[in-house]
Amino acid sequence: MFSLRRAGVRFGSTPALEAVDLEVAAGERVALVGPSGAGKSTLLSLLNGSRRPTEGSAVVLGRDLATVRGSELRHLQRRIGTVYQQHHLVGPLRVVHNVNAGRLGDWSLLEAVRSLLLPADVATAEAALAQVGIAEKLYERTDTLSGGQQQRVALARVLVQRPVAILADEPISSLDPTRAEEIMQLLAGLAGGTGRALVVSLHAVEQALRHCDRLVGLRGGRVLFDAAARDVTTAMVESLYRIGERGPEQGEGAA
Amino acid sequence: MVLALAGSLVHAGVGLQPTLNPAGWPQLRRFLAAAVEPAASPEFLRLTWEATLTTLAYAVLGTAMALGIGVVAGVVISETWWRRPPSGRSRRRGRVGEVGGWLASRLVVGLPRGVHEAVWGLFLVSILGLDPLVGVLAIGIPYGAVTAKVYAELLDEAPRGPFEALRSAGVGRVRALTYALAPLAFPDLLSYAFYRFECAIRGAAILGIIGAGGLGFQLALSFQSLRYDEMWTLIYALVAVCGLADWWSTTLRRRSALPTRTIAGLPAEREGHDSVVAIRPSLRRDRRLHASAVVAVALVVVSVWHLGIDVSTLWAPRAQRLASEIATSSLPPDLGAANLARLAALGVQTLEMSVIAAVAACVAGMVAAFAVAGGSDGSRPAGALRQVGAIGARGLLLVARAVPPPVGALLLLFVLLPGPLPGALALALYNAGILGRLMAEVVENLDPGPLGALRSQGASPGQGFVYATLPRTLPRFAAFGLYRWEVTIRETVVVGLVGAGGLGRLLGQQLAAFDYRGVTATVAALVVLTFAVDVVSAAVRRSLR
Repeated sequence: MFSLRRAGVRFGSTPALEAVDLEVAAGERVALVGPSGAGKSTLLSLLNGSRRPTEGSAVVLGRDLATVRGSELRHLQRRIGTVYQQHHLVGPLRVVHNVNAGRLGDWSLLEAVRSLLLPADVATAEAALAQVGIAEKLYERTDTLSGGQQQRVALARVLVQRPVAILADEPISSLDPTRAEEIMQLLAGLAGGTGRALVVSLHAVEQALRHCDRLVGLRGGRVLFDAAARDVTTAMVESLYRIGERGPEQGEGAA
Repeated sequence: MVLALAGSLVHAGVGLQPTLNPAGWPQLRRFLAAAVEPAASPEFLRLTWEATLTTLAYAVLGTAMALGIGVVAGVVISETWWRRPPSGRSRRRGRVGEVGGWLASRLVVGLPRGVHEAVWGLFLVSILGLDPLVGVLAIGIPYGAVTAKVYAELLDEAPRGPFEALRSAGVGRVRALTYALAPLAFPDLLSYAFYRFECAIRGAAILGIIGAGGLGFQLALSFQSLRYDEMWTLIYALVAVCGLADWWSTTLRRRSALPTRTIAGLPAEREGHDSVVAIRPSLRRDRRLHASAVVAVALVVVSVWHLGIDVSTLWAPRAQRLASEIATSSLPPDLGAANLARLAALGVQTLEMSVIAAVAACVAGMVAAFAVAGGSDGSRPAGALRQVGAIGARGLLLVARAVPPPVGALLLLFVLLPGPLPGALALALYNAGILGRLMAEVVENLDPGPLGALRSQGASPGQGFVYATLPRTLPRFAAFGLYRWEVTIRETVVVGLVGAGGLGRLLGQQLAAFDYRGVTATVAALVVLTFAVDVVSAAVRRSLR
């Protein structure tokens, strides 16, 4: 599904990612682990096509990002769903519209506007909300919901989008342990058996080990290790977080 | 809202009687053509420079006075000031003294706010004569009242935990305020002060037209002799001064976390608990702030010297005599049945003018704001075309808010027949210039996350705009529009004075005829009307929160 070869991203002269090789197959659950500023968010933005590599190549769903533009790129992006730590929902809109925003790829502008006035396909949105456990919130204003509930709305949005791959950028960082576990279970359940791939960036290595098949350790924009969950050792994890060696890139934008 | 607009338009005669005056097109074209060749003779440039200094001096001193009033009165009318230190459980209820004191002080500042600075100017001229102090007071008094109200709200909004902790430790009110409350509210207070200064420059230009001198005065003179080239020189000078003030104000306000919110009285987006104080960029080590403070003080000194301000005029026997004469001749107000009926009819017309102006300004401002902000659309670099469009829109907005509405109304009279409509449209243009800039700031300060999320899942730019940008901006735009409606109802006076209709026109006639009892009644009607609009607008804004 995703294939990066020697991919790198520079912001001005600062490298955020350097020479990254990564292959993700259908149905795989991959966790990106590493400290803040390791390049996890940048890597995810390559995978969903919102950023192009400045070096090397990135092939997403069989298309080289360097060659797709405009509406072709949009067609590609419709098949990839992304969830963010900050949810990135539209606060003043009702939950149903935020969920339906996952359908924008299928809808024309006119249909999109019409749905804002008279919500279209409410049944689908409601089913998605039921699947993430908050069906009763359908008509609430999104910014009145708690952080955990908003993350569920974001998941419901991805559900109605019916993507072939789900990307999640620190989806549980601002949640308490119970909510975090629930969200991770939901995410893991949406991928795997269905043939849908999941790439999730995580701070908590235990969560990654529990819910993912494979762990990719990032530090300072480079891949330190790429191993099956059962092969990851304490030493490998410690190498990611050891202070003092390489990796002063603290505080990258939305890491 | 739609009904109110339609009613106002029909009543103002749109569609029922001819409103256009095709014979005036050549004049307007000549005026517009003069834009490319403004007067540039050395004498006229010197005159423009002098006039610019005068307008600037009025604005600077008026703002300084407003801030002085605002700080003192703002503290006194804040809820925090009147609240006793927390003792026991019962806090809000049953404290007649607290609520009474707070309400009474609110009313005292409410009155000067209801009257436009031009009316203050006309009133003060008849007491003090043509003294430069008139211009300063005419800006300082109403602006001081507005500033006091906003400052009180900002103080009340600032996290109160630290203040109450000091109070319950037995610290006096003033000291607790300076230590625990003022530092937290300071960035917002400062940003509002600069917004006031921007407004004061435009206010000073309007005051010039009614005789205070400066750019507005010269603009009116050149207009009377139809010297369009001179008018453009003066307009460009106004644009330059307004543009500089806007730039100064924006660069300083950016460092306040919530730049435009205070203007329309929007609620603070406070995160977490009261005791969590957001960390702002350290103001202490801020060079630009220091430089600004030095420049501000220098401006005040230069302004006093340039205008030749002599405060003793206020206590001069002549002023006292004139004040008592006016007091006796203007009281009691003319409240005869005929006058009341006339006031009611003109009050409705004034209201209609303000509705047309506010709605038109809101719509035009919105379009312009998206055009201006179109230059910076999230992470993707904007195309050259959109950037050119953004710069063009910015320039148009700047010119629109630099031309004083009375001049705008007179220009519109080239192509429109006399009546309330030219006045309303002139106000609409002027306020569109102000609203467009405020709204563009809202768009530019939007969190790019939600739009980015939609775009990265393949939504088209149009869909992103409808789903992510509009829902997050419209409530704020509406709040700005309502706030501006409160301002336009006051501003109808200044276009009324040049004959555009409404209560302002009546006021002009009464002043010319020395009918002071009539003037008192008209001003009272204006105050009642503005108060009613304030109440309605505040209620609607609250429901938007």
